[in-house]
Amino acid sequence: MSNANSSGTLTGSHYLDGDHACSEGAIAAGCRFAAGYPITPSTEVVERLAQRFPFVGGRFLQFEDELAASIALLGGAWGGAKACTVTSGPGFSLMMEHIGLAAITETPCVFFNVQRAGPSTGLPTQPAQGDMMQARFGSHGDYRLIALCPNSPQECFDLTVDAFNMAEEFRVPVLVMLDEVVGHMTEKVVIPDDAEIKVTERRWTKKPPGEFKLFAPAEGSLVPEMVKPGDGYRIHVTGLTHDERGYPKMTVPEHEKMQMRLWNKIVLNADKIVKYEAKDLDDAEVVVVSYGITSRIAERAMQQARAQGVKVGSFRLITAWPFPEKEILQLSKKVKAFVVPELNLGQMVLEVQRIVEGRTKVVPVPHVGGTVHDPQVITNAIVGAVR
Amino acid sequence: MSTNGQNVNTALPTYTKKDFESGVDPRWCPGCGDYSIINQVQRALPAVGVKRENIVFISGIGCSSRFPYYMNNYGMHTLHGRAPSFASGLKVSRPELQVWIVTGDGDALAIGGNHFIHAMRRNLDLKMLLFNNRIYGLTKGQVSPTSELGKKTKTTPHGSPDYPFNPPALALGAGATFVARTIDVEGAHMGGVLKAAAEHKGSTLVEVFQNCPVFNDGAYEFLTDKAVKADALLRMEQGKPLVFGKDGKKGIRFNPQSAELEVVTIGENGVTEKDILVHDAKREDPTIAFMLANLSMKPGFPTPIGVFRDVRMPTCEELTWQIIDGAKAKKPDASLEKLLAGGDTWTIG
Repeated sequence: MSNANSSGTLTGSHYLDGDHACSEGAIAAGCRFAAGYPITPSTEVVERLAQRFPFVGGRFLQFEDELAASIALLGGAWGGAKACTVTSGPGFSLMMEHIGLAAITETPCVFFNVQRAGPSTGLPTQPAQGDMMQARFGSHGDYRLIALCPNSPQECFDLTVDAFNMAEEFRVPVLVMLDEVVGHMTEKVVIPDDAEIKVTERRWTKKPPGEFKLFAPAEGSLVPEMVKPGDGYRIHVTGLTHDERGYPKMTVPEHEKMQMRLWNKIVLNADKIVKYEAKDLDDAEVVVVSYGITSRIAERAMQQARAQGVKVGSFRLITAWPFPEKEILQLSKKVKAFVVPELNLGQMVLEVQRIVEGRTKVVPVPHVGGTVHDPQVITNAIVGAVR
Repeated sequence: MSTNGQNVNTALPTYTKKDFESGVDPRWCPGCGDYSIINQVQRALPAVGVKRENIVFISGIGCSSRFPYYMNNYGMHTLHGRAPSFASGLKVSRPELQVWIVTGDGDALAIGGNHFIHAMRRNLDLKMLLFNNRIYGLTKGQVSPTSELGKKTKTTPHGSPDYPFNPPALALGAGATFVARTIDVEGAHMGGVLKAAAEHKGSTLVEVFQNCPVFNDGAYEFLTDKAVKADALLRMEQGKPLVFGKDGKKGIRFNPQSAELEVVTIGENGVTEKDILVHDAKREDPTIAFMLANLSMKPGFPTPIGVFRDVRMPTCEELTWQIIDGAKAKKPDASLEKLLAGGDTWTIG
């Protein structure tokens, strides 16, 4: 067991739950500002940040509600800090307004959602994966962002680092979509030395004031550089449609220009962003598409199905958004069926169906949440898909 | 905290008003009180002793919230009601910045009411300018949380059935350490209030009575009209008796029997200048400030302008550092064993 090193990273081998692994991932990635509002089952993330931040130069403040916490997060980010907030379903609904503002103002920031069963207050202490489409479409208007779904405490650490890195690389809000089980399960988490953790710093401009434009993409990129107060720049940031200087410009051509760059910086970089884990796909007739805790249950189901002679492979979503369209499309041309178990009544399966376009069978394995699937139900769906 | 190590505390250039103009022509309706407010703010800033790029203006949504667009600073035009919380996040992450919030009565007190009171109680060093025109202007004339009882607007065509907020009283109740009121047409007065607000460390509310010439014209004529002004306005000045009226003979007296403030006339009924309440914004107890703030809601009383309260208390950001230093002194490392054994553990016998 080791102490936090000078940068604050808790290098070593630990026994941590997913929520705490997220906190450690945030610290390792350089997050030094967090704003939150208590909500089960996510509060442990900020509790640990509140405990740890004083020792690493970070600041946490509990706000009056999730609206305040999520916009304070943007304030912290524009102050120059790597910043995050943490919530669950009801709070996530309130934060939608600021996910939209973060998208249009291109604010690098990270939102954690430890999913519980809804709608509304639902089952506050029990798991679900019911916010996946909200993660994609929850705020009004068209925008793209990045959403990741870890399936273990180790991945909570790793993907949190990725989330902060991608937030900086693409100047975009990144959502880390846990579920209650992953958040509360305790497993071994190995935290590497700082030297082995790749951290993307904010890209501060080298252009002088007057020349620099806060919303003009950097050369060879679709993503603009940034400044912070105190650096000597006058800037204007607005939720209105704006030009490259950030000044309101409410014309259709200007709107199209802004919107398409916001869209394309994610869509055209999908290959750089998308991560998945493929297993046993070479000979697969059936592919299980799963994510988060459901992927752990599906592993058992795939073992059972293989024991029954079904050639089943796994395609585990690590990035939920942008969705791995290209990969699913390729698979759809060679497999007989996709089986999509998830802790909701059918959300990511809609994406699979959209991409497959009827070329092959897509079998949803819905679950209302509150607990996880019985593996047998998934096994039956796998076996049933080819028999 | 990453600050990029640049020029936060280097020598201060000499500024003029022009240095705080963004070069974008302000676009409010002709005759809007906002022009006079931005003019006073741009005149006040050269003297506050802070580098231009270390001053941040954060607004919400509404007519007033276009303000940062016209200021040559670090400007953030955020969301309806949320400016105080955005500003709080920025201030916590960068305490060395001077952070101003520009908001209106709808923005701050309706959709942002919760954020408003919490920003005030936390005593972060945030300076809020609340342009109060008692109407929703940007959406063209609906009732606001400061509209008078009975007010007819597009959404209260038969009269408003609800009681308005009094922003200084609300801020005082929430624990604001600096609370003031001024009027758009009182340029010199506003300049003085802005200077005091800039100098204060802690949660700051400056309510500016602002005329909306299009949707609520004349809302403050009962104070600003030359014929009535002297009797209607009570100018609070630190250390001076609270007198008003054409000849300065009217005054505010604290009546110990009724525990209320009352209007008296010097020279009548044995009242002398000594009976008049002396204004002291530095009183830690906000009770008298609260009573003064509420005078504007009482018939027969003048409306006070000036500084109600100006009390120095440790700010949230100062306390944050104290707490961090304290925690560091107690726990020099953060080993996992210590974290795990850090409190919520017990032994079963």
